[in-house]
Amino acid sequence: MFNKKRTRLAILILVLVAFPQPAYAYIDPGTGSYVLQIILAGILAVPFVLKRYWIKIKSIFKGSSSK
Amino acid sequence: MTNKNSDSRIPSSFRDPSGYLFQRDGIIYRQINQVYRENYEHLMTSGLYDTLVKNDLVVTHVESGIQTEAGNNVYKIIKPEKVPFISYPYEWCFSQLKHAALVTLQIQKTALNFGMSLKDSSAYNIQFRKGKPVLIDTLSFEKYRVGEPWVAYKQFCQHFLGPLVLMSYTDVRLNQLLRIYIDGVPMDLASTLLPFKTRLNFSLLSNIHLHAATQMKYEDKPVKPADKKMSNTGLLAIIDNLESTVQKLQWKPQGTEWGEYYSDTNYTQEAVNHKKHFVTECLEQIKPENVWDVGANTGYYSRLAGNKSIPTIAFDIDPAAVEKNYLTCVKNKEEHLLPLLLDLTNPSPCIGWENKERMSITQRGPADTIFALALIHHLAISNNVPLIKIAGFFSKLCDYLIIEFVPKSDSQVQRLLATREDIFPDYTQPAFENDFKEYFNIKQFAKVKDSERILYLMKRKV
Repeated sequence: MFNKKRTRLAILILVLVAFPQPAYAYIDPGTGSYVLQIILAGILAVPFVLKRYWIKIKSIFKGSSSK
Repeated sequence: MTNKNSDSRIPSSFRDPSGYLFQRDGIIYRQINQVYRENYEHLMTSGLYDTLVKNDLVVTHVESGIQTEAGNNVYKIIKPEKVPFISYPYEWCFSQLKHAALVTLQIQKTALNFGMSLKDSSAYNIQFRKGKPVLIDTLSFEKYRVGEPWVAYKQFCQHFLGPLVLMSYTDVRLNQLLRIYIDGVPMDLASTLLPFKTRLNFSLLSNIHLHAATQMKYEDKPVKPADKKMSNTGLLAIIDNLESTVQKLQWKPQGTEWGEYYSDTNYTQEAVNHKKHFVTECLEQIKPENVWDVGANTGYYSRLAGNKSIPTIAFDIDPAAVEKNYLTCVKNKEEHLLPLLLDLTNPSPCIGWENKERMSITQRGPADTIFALALIHHLAISNNVPLIKIAGFFSKLCDYLIIEFVPKSDSQVQRLLATREDIFPDYTQPAFENDFKEYFNIKQFAKVKDSERILYLMKRKV
């Protein structure tokens, strides 16, 4: 009986060690701050992608003009 | 055999269940708990840690074999690289806070490239090492869960963006709000204090004013997990927007009353040279491990120590002086000089939980040597502190003191007395010497050439 209990405890510890729980956010991200980010992501994503392409295009021209 | 009983937990390290800092035999260690194992392994094996170290963005650490009593909860003990002096955001000038903000965003962008994200963005996790801001919390990273917004966005706005915008648009002294609000300036307060023109700027309108409004609207309201989704591109766009917003923020000391102060001294070149020679000689004699220059102005005399590779803190009450000093340090890539904002008449106290989270200035001392040059009249006359109290305070802060006595006949003292009654009959050189002899032995003194001022080298009585 005692051995069974010990075995169960050992298995439990092993499981806890082998499969650690994910570390959840310990600070409050704030619901309002989350909602705002989702709205901003929607607004800023397209200009951001265009900006990245523009930087790439500029670097191609810069690269070719320096050759 | 290690002495586990001598372990003392660092009072600032208790919020994050991923681990905590403790001190053993004068060395600081960080315990990593089992709950953080997966994240730590990803940080170390993904190449993120190496990339951050290579770019001077995070402090290095080594894994330590020491034992603790934490039992099954402990996954690893690491020994982080020591940062010579811990400073706080309310002691930073505008550009120091701005650079710390930009480094935080750079770290977040790098982390996202390696499938991780910052789970906090506290300004207290950034410290100045070799003149540059660096992350000191190795446990700040978590695996990025695709589609999730940035957990630390609100904290970033409270600790960095809000205070910077307030300093830039309203008043540079509003960084002192960080001393009151330990988790950063609340968005609604920042929104209230900012001028209307900030609402005409899209980034400031959204990240501050609308941020405050959405926080109010969704206060105490949970959001369904399915609604909390955004694209990775959207997240990168927000980080990019924050980065360019911070980058554009400016504060220039010109035009303030302080801006003119530096050229307004009553010193001749010969007096400056003599003072410089006296301080240099003292440094060669003492060979201090570190120096605090209290009342450093833009750091002219602090650099006598800093240029000798002595870790030096250049404190000043004036945000413009600290700003100018810091920008000079950045320009010249000075590694041993750290300018900080400090009002010696009301120095940084212990704040936070149990009044222990952030250390007072005295707790971060004592310094080996203090410079108190052209300062005594500001303390004794402008602030009415009796000389004996000044001597007592300095004796708690240092072993060696290089101090300048500025007599009443000096034009700078006369200027302080011009608008008030002279209630300081005891402000004399003999009284100064007598009071300081209570706590210090005078090792050396010299009358500054071309001046009525006297320089002293003193050693604290044991």
